[in-house]
Amino acid sequence: MLEFLQQAITGLMIGSLYSLVAAGIVLVYKSTHVVSLAHGQLVAFGALFFWFFFGSFGWPLWASLIPAFILTAAIGLLIERLALRPLIGQPLFAAFLMTFAVFITLEGIFVLYLKGETRALPAFLPEGNIALGGLSVPVNQMVSFLVAVLLFIALSLVFKFTKVGLGMRATAEDHRLAQGTGITVRKIFSYVWVLSGLVATVAGIAIAGVMDIYYMLPYIGINGLIVAICGGLDSLSGAFVVGLLLGVVENVGAGYLDPLVGGGVKDVVSYIVLLMVLLVRPYGLFGLTRIERI
Amino acid sequence: MRPCGIFDRNYGQDMAIIRTWQHWASLLGALVILYLFPLFGSYYLVSFINLAAISVIAVLGLQIVSGYCGQISFGQAAFMAVGAYTSSVLTTHFGVSFWLALPLSGVVAGAVGAIGGAPSLRIKGMYLAMATIAIHFVLIWLVLHLEITGSFKGLYPPSPTLGGFEFDTDEKMFYIIVSVMLIMTYCARNLVRTRVGRAFVAIRDNDLAGEVMGINLYYYKLLAFFISCFYAGIAGSLWAHLITVVNAEQFTLLHALEFVGMLIIGGMGSIPGVFFGVLFIKILNELVLFTSPVLAGAFPWLGSSPAAAMGLIAFGLAVSIFLIFEPRGLAHRWEIFKASYRLYPFAN
Repeated sequence: MLEFLQQAITGLMIGSLYSLVAAGIVLVYKSTHVVSLAHGQLVAFGALFFWFFFGSFGWPLWASLIPAFILTAAIGLLIERLALRPLIGQPLFAAFLMTFAVFITLEGIFVLYLKGETRALPAFLPEGNIALGGLSVPVNQMVSFLVAVLLFIALSLVFKFTKVGLGMRATAEDHRLAQGTGITVRKIFSYVWVLSGLVATVAGIAIAGVMDIYYMLPYIGINGLIVAICGGLDSLSGAFVVGLLLGVVENVGAGYLDPLVGGGVKDVVSYIVLLMVLLVRPYGLFGLTRIERI
Repeated sequence: MRPCGIFDRNYGQDMAIIRTWQHWASLLGALVILYLFPLFGSYYLVSFINLAAISVIAVLGLQIVSGYCGQISFGQAAFMAVGAYTSSVLTTHFGVSFWLALPLSGVVAGAVGAIGGAPSLRIKGMYLAMATIAIHFVLIWLVLHLEITGSFKGLYPPSPTLGGFEFDTDEKMFYIIVSVMLIMTYCARNLVRTRVGRAFVAIRDNDLAGEVMGINLYYYKLLAFFISCFYAGIAGSLWAHLITVVNAEQFTLLHALEFVGMLIIGGMGSIPGVFFGVLFIKILNELVLFTSPVLAGAFPWLGSSPAAAMGLIAFGLAVSIFLIFEPRGLAHRWEIFKASYRLYPFAN
């Protein structure tokens, strides 16, 4: 039982990272109905920019956060301006394919920069373990978990109470109606991508706190997509809960199934979960049942 | 669009792909040049055509399921892996001849694909694309963890033999690969004009309307996935026996994305578009291979071997540019060119 709880808690901590990645995807989908494959790259670049200033230049923590946020938000803005804005009026699926093209382009730049090496951030989160009964939780993972919780609360508040959030919700409902009530839809799209860049930076820094920056990092976007889809693409709370659940399932499943099948269960559990969710509830566990059924 | 003064007098003439004696002459001439090519072409060009032809077969399959039936699939590389491994296992473990293993690997990959296409019965569009990505990772995981596929070490399938003659070089494999490619192209080009092909197009354009007209959606969607993955399996089998080494590194998600990119650039819903797309991407890759050492010499901060990364950048940019400026792909440009050529001197 203790072993199970320990694995579940480690899973929760990993899962909070998945939720952080999924948050950006849900954000973009909620307002623009574009599913972004490219979000994993934003996360990776957020981590890379932070490493650039914090690890490479040796700036203090607070000072390196600012340029990391600005640069990643700029990439988000560029994606919206150069790649997605020309596709307004085209089928949404074209935008999905465009985010895939953006993913590959940014992947090329990322690989070109890393040249197959890994970049490790110097430890910036407090070290050590907290002991809870018989369980131990690393403090740095605890911090990223708390960051995830705070970020989700903040995002929900933005969506609910600010004027921009209201504009985003209106845009998600209907572009023409939103335009008719005086909301500039294009401006909202830009805001959304900038905001998703900021959220991606948070995720990237949290991830870089617990693992190295290497060439597979952008693929965490696929985990984020799985979480977002399983939770229902337009549900922030769904992304949060499912992210945690997926982390737990992955970790516990790996802990108990690995000895039976000879390892590597962790890599494949999330995909099987996704397939099952898509077959049983294609609109996700918490999403609006608006998806077109065949 | 027919040239001025050409009239179709019966149904056969109207439906013919090859219409005039000039068409027949250029087709036969092209075939003669293609089949004599290994005699005078360089080794580099022959192996380039081999790899391009294998990609053409895989993308033809993708064209049928995505371009004609509208079910986007990011799993083509994994289904190709199924074909490659089936063929390798059959020839190395069971001693089956290549000539039997080739169609069998197509059938096995098709069966796996039909199972993998089952989510398309409930979801479509982006959701289906994500499901096929999940299927890709599950299949590759299985390949890496099963005993029979040699897990991480991979397999070493033999070169095909025919009555004591061994197809052990690229020049000799050229004849097998190009012949199979021509047969597969012929089948694909005609499949899409049959009842089945029209059903696919109806499903793509509006599945509800198609169902109302009496098209069995379940049957035709699974059939589309079966045919598409049959093509992928054949391509995988040819790949396995051309390279004679099979491992999971050869079938990554990036390969699947590359196939989709070829489809976008070539143009969805067009068989000639497959050739345009594959050639465009393959030539782009070769150009990057040639220019990247020069660039690496000029700009040392690029590192010693930037070819792989620069290939990705060029590919991603090409796909974005096509999505923005010519979403119907090179095939559409080709149609415009043909129409204006035939109507000359009148404006199109």
